[in-house]
Amino acid sequence: MDLRLTETQEILKQSARDFLTTECPKSLVRELEQGEMGYAPELWKKMAELGWLGLIIPEEYDGMGYTFQDLAVLLEEIGRSILPGPLLATLTSVFAVLEAGTEEQKRELLPKIAQGELILTTALLEGEGIFDASGIAVKAAPQGDDFTIDGTKLFVEMAHVADYILCVTRTNTGTSPEKGVTVLIVDSTTPGISCEVIPTTAEDKLCEVRFENVKVPKKNILGKLDEGWPIVETMLRKGAIAKCAESIGAIQACVDMTVAYSKERVQYERPIGAFQALQHRMADMWTAMGTSRYLVYEAAWMESEGLPCAKEASMAKAYVNEVYKNVAKWAVRLHGAIATSADHDIPLYYRRSKAADTAYGGTDFHREIVAQKIGLT
Amino acid sequence: MDFSLTDEQKARKQEFYDTCKELEKRKPPSFLGFETIYEDDECWEYNLHCAREFAKKGWLALGWPPEYDGQGDMMDKVLFAEARGYHGIPGVDIFGVQMLAPTLLQAASEEIKREFLPPIARGEVMWCELWSEPNAGSDLAALAATAIRKGDEYVINGQKTWNTGAHKADWGFGVFKTDPAARKHHNMTFILFDMKTPGITIRPIPYLDGHAPYCEVYFDDVHVTAKNIVGQEHEGWAVVNLLAGFERSGINEIMSMLRGLEQLVAFCNQTKRHGQPLSKNLLVRNRLAELACELEAARALAYRVADLQNRDEMSLMDASAGKIFFSELGERFAFLATDILGPYGQVKTSRWAPLDGIWERMFHEHFITTISMGTNEIQRNIIAWYGLGLPRMR
Repeated sequence: MDLRLTETQEILKQSARDFLTTECPKSLVRELEQGEMGYAPELWKKMAELGWLGLIIPEEYDGMGYTFQDLAVLLEEIGRSILPGPLLATLTSVFAVLEAGTEEQKRELLPKIAQGELILTTALLEGEGIFDASGIAVKAAPQGDDFTIDGTKLFVEMAHVADYILCVTRTNTGTSPEKGVTVLIVDSTTPGISCEVIPTTAEDKLCEVRFENVKVPKKNILGKLDEGWPIVETMLRKGAIAKCAESIGAIQACVDMTVAYSKERVQYERPIGAFQALQHRMADMWTAMGTSRYLVYEAAWMESEGLPCAKEASMAKAYVNEVYKNVAKWAVRLHGAIATSADHDIPLYYRRSKAADTAYGGTDFHREIVAQKIGLT
Repeated sequence: MDFSLTDEQKARKQEFYDTCKELEKRKPPSFLGFETIYEDDECWEYNLHCAREFAKKGWLALGWPPEYDGQGDMMDKVLFAEARGYHGIPGVDIFGVQMLAPTLLQAASEEIKREFLPPIARGEVMWCELWSEPNAGSDLAALAATAIRKGDEYVINGQKTWNTGAHKADWGFGVFKTDPAARKHHNMTFILFDMKTPGITIRPIPYLDGHAPYCEVYFDDVHVTAKNIVGQEHEGWAVVNLLAGFERSGINEIMSMLRGLEQLVAFCNQTKRHGQPLSKNLLVRNRLAELACELEAARALAYRVADLQNRDEMSLMDASAGKIFFSELGERFAFLATDILGPYGQVKTSRWAPLDGIWERMFHEHFITTISMGTNEIQRNIIAWYGLGLPRMR
């Protein structure tokens, strides 16, 4: 046991911090929130050059061949600087392609993703907004060499700029909702696809994607027909840990900014950080950060080692969801009115805590998984 | 980041678990957790039995240097604590083995080490702590009890309080003013003494449930040899801080809670309410899952603390964060479990008590962890002042 970062991870962390400090100022974050695209293509290219986009892609597909745990370290820095863009959306698709893709699909997609030439996203949620298989109703009907997709997907991250959409479809009504789900790799330029950005708390470009008579070649099935749900589970599990890694970086930023401000801001002739009412809140924020971090590291380590970690991933997500929201809330509260201003950096984090919470399953969704895993019948 | 154990560690862990599992079979029915060893003679005997068993294997000296017959490292100590926690086994004297021994190893003279460490390792001498006083709780340095040097002796006078297990202990360690005229923090000495020394009077204090795990101790001209000190004379405050830094990783308590969770889950699966097992109740599922998440976070943090201790990189704020989180998790768990048990959650050990009445005990026993060893509010001050660098209250 050695819970320190490895030397590689320390280097990755430091270079990420240096890069993001220069390349991702909060002015850029605001600009991207307000802009249509939601990401900076030039920055995306630079991230590809740094090897970030192919970090966990094996070297045989032109990636870096790093571990999932290394990725978590990078994502912590990304979360700290709240870099907007389709990184996690693309990575989540990479998780699925690595797990279930054919050799041909991997050769086609992975090198281009690593080089920053392709953006991918996953279309999972529909009208009910639930993360269970029972929420999948959008049909993909077989027709000759194609499937025809009809229906609407919601909350699809960055779909408006994605080159491919992994669309989770209903191809059969089996004995359980998990049976009869198929993941299709859909070229986003296929006729019949339309996309509209949904206004959200974090302005993070979650999209409504409508499929009208969209033809997808049968060879674009990811994994097996009707047996796509385990792929979705992998995406949700790895995605949850990845999102948690981002969140602990963001939590760290909230704690750091709040502590620093409380040392500067003077009221009653002393820094407000001298008051115990605030000190104890900050001690609690710091403690919550520590508990989150090692829970997430544990899950990331298990994922890296290929150990079964559905329980730990869900525990991490259910826990960190609440910690991030609360720490960000207290960051606003302890700053006072100044941090309710749109020009302040803290609200950027507070708004994202809601987005982080719902992505890859909310608290109650993951608690139910935990309930099953601890043996409640 | 590597959470894995070596094959050697896995084998050690197995041995710890196997031994504790065997010892669990000999638990007297009156044993309901660690505090009961101070309340019930049968439980105290069981505590001594476990201590002797552990001593035979050398496990009371885990992490000690070889020259004092130590074996293993800090990680072994953690794995041992884990096994004891899960099986709920006493026998490792919290005061002697966990607090005093590491303090002696770092701060005591060779003579004191040679005299006091072996009996601790053999599980023969049980210790108690005598720090707090009626008017010196969180502000321990405001203590009033004196130990005035007379030749090669100290003569101790005054009162100590909240001394867990003082009525059972063979020896005690305490801090006393040895130089009343000197400034605060440089006026006290850390002294070791036999609890049977003439002039010591021990009175149990009934805890809020009527049991008596702790005592108040009166000193009336108690003569102690002046060689029985740890650290420098008048510089006992440094020793107090050193000892307080030997916070356990907390893994013991966490594993004990994990076992409690397993038992509660089994209870919910087997117990019908509203015509169906309690486990089908969505609120019960959600709340137990929430606790399980916190428990896993606590476990990961305990490993982090152990990892830091293993490399001697433990900071004050890490210790404080662990203490706050683990103890308050115990509070939340007690509230949750007694909620789920409904009216049965208030039943003391009897035929009406589910799960041996352990949760009824936990409903009040958790105060021991949130208040002792520096209240959680003091721990928050420590994080704020020494960790976050916030201005210190004057």
